[in-house]
Amino acid sequence: MPTAFRSRFGVLLSVVILLVLVVAPFYWIFAGSFKTPQEILSPQPTFFPQTLTLQHYDKLLASSDFPRYLLNSTLVAVLTMLLTVTLSVMAAYALYRLEFPGRRFLTRIVLATYIFPGILLLIPLYGMMTQLRLVDTIWALVVINVTFAAPFAVWMLQAFFQGVPYEVEEAAALDGAGRITVILRIFLPLTAPGIASIAIYAFITSWTEYMFASVLILSDANRTLPVGLAGIIGQYQVDWGLLLAGATVTTLPVLILFSLVGRNFIEGLTAGATK
Amino acid sequence: MQQAARATMPTRPARKPKKNYRRGDVFLAYVLVGPLILWLAVTILYPLLSAIQLSVLDVKVIGSGGEFVGLANYERILGNERFWAALGRSGVWVISNAVLQTVVAFATALILRQRFPGRSFARIWIILSWIVPTVVVVIIWRWMLGTSGGIVNYLLVALGITPAPIGFFSTGPGAFASLVFINSWRWFPLTAVILLAGMQSIPEELYEAASVDGASAWQRFRAITLPSLQPVLFVLGLVGTLWSVNVFDIIWLITSGGPSSATTTLPVFIYDTAFKQYNLSRAAAASVLMGVVLLIFAVLFMRFAGPKGEETAAS
Repeated sequence: MPTAFRSRFGVLLSVVILLVLVVAPFYWIFAGSFKTPQEILSPQPTFFPQTLTLQHYDKLLASSDFPRYLLNSTLVAVLTMLLTVTLSVMAAYALYRLEFPGRRFLTRIVLATYIFPGILLLIPLYGMMTQLRLVDTIWALVVINVTFAAPFAVWMLQAFFQGVPYEVEEAAALDGAGRITVILRIFLPLTAPGIASIAIYAFITSWTEYMFASVLILSDANRTLPVGLAGIIGQYQVDWGLLLAGATVTTLPVLILFSLVGRNFIEGLTAGATK
Repeated sequence: MQQAARATMPTRPARKPKKNYRRGDVFLAYVLVGPLILWLAVTILYPLLSAIQLSVLDVKVIGSGGEFVGLANYERILGNERFWAALGRSGVWVISNAVLQTVVAFATALILRQRFPGRSFARIWIILSWIVPTVVVVIIWRWMLGTSGGIVNYLLVALGITPAPIGFFSTGPGAFASLVFINSWRWFPLTAVILLAGMQSIPEELYEAASVDGASAWQRFRAITLPSLQPVLFVLGLVGTLWSVNVFDIIWLITSGGPSSATTTLPVFIYDTAFKQYNLSRAAAASVLMGVVLLIFAVLFMRFAGPKGEETAAS
């Protein structure tokens, strides 16, 4: 049937357009990072690099401060992840699995904080971190990233925590296991995909954060990736090759981590809004 | 908050008769939820109160000044045309992002509902532009939209759409529109994924029955899809507005609020006042005012666009 064929063709065409819109820009920086400086600035763009070169990666990793930024970002992200997971798993268990006075109220408080605009806290948190002498340390960033990651993480855990039947925990309790043992040995392993998802959400949140890092970090040695890369953008003569290589290396960990939890991540992300 | 909570939070599965708390449970619950609540109190509630305190002092940079000046900072801010202009731009920013993102996200969700090879893969990786660091988004678009060597300008000229390269960031309206596009490119997948999940929870029988009755695709969309998505659209409207008004890094790293303040939204204005003009107290006053405006918005939105309301628009 021609109409069936036409609609089939329409679907495929729209999928391709969507794909180009989302993926092509990433291909473009990835391909660009392997081009020679002359080819990058050539008025005639090339779809494939004409001469593959690793010179930008070489410069990035061997003779720039990038490795330092990478290390700082990794430290901040891992610490953010550990703290976020601990705080939000504990809180989510209480909010979604236990019955206690004030539960609804506290759930709403956590919900209200995840939509809270961070810009409103920029000035006072800067003042607070100065008083605590945490300015120019990675701890200042860890504290702030946990604040912005944890409430959303609790929200994402909802779908996973409410999916476990209460009978599972009750059966284990009947076997004489204590409450904490049941949580650690039975409940948490069952919800591992959700916990992995929020761990990666926390990592990515921290990996991306620019605004607070740009005011709370003063010395070059303590900069994170976004601030470091922004420094390269801000230079008078932008070294595009270096920047494209930097962007590629910065994106890579996010892709790897996300590929581990993709489906669960999306499930957690959407469950709260649609139930 | 009441209605928002109801919209986002499902009631938990029925278990025990209500109000029959087990003492062990209650104690455990407070021990578990306590640390997070304490953390949020120290890092959100306390700073909020100290912002109010800072806004009635005279602090230029941390460690200097500190005299009580009453409402002088508020008077200066409210009498400052740049503040009002930034507030207006934030409004335009939120609305134009909402319109563009909603349209593209709806189209995306409808596409991802169709059957095609690689669909489950596409439904996950569509989120790509949302999970990568904003600085990468900035690098991508600054490079692609550049006037010399930028691929977009090359294509526009090569296809004969424009005679010469366009300076996307060189005029005020151009820069603003380009930023809206870039920000929407980053956020539309999240909206699309949430809309898609909402669409999937609509029973298939409704569509089948409508088809039998001879309803067109557009009629089915108007009569079934949109009304069923009302609660989702409400959440997206509230959360999306508050998240989008907060956008700072994309704007700052591309235009720094320029050219001639054309892209200075409220967050850029606050950041600039505090860390470029070195006037922390005045920036704190601007933050408090912005907070009040957002609070009023949130209350009105929940009041008039709540899940029971008639006009749930994804603003």
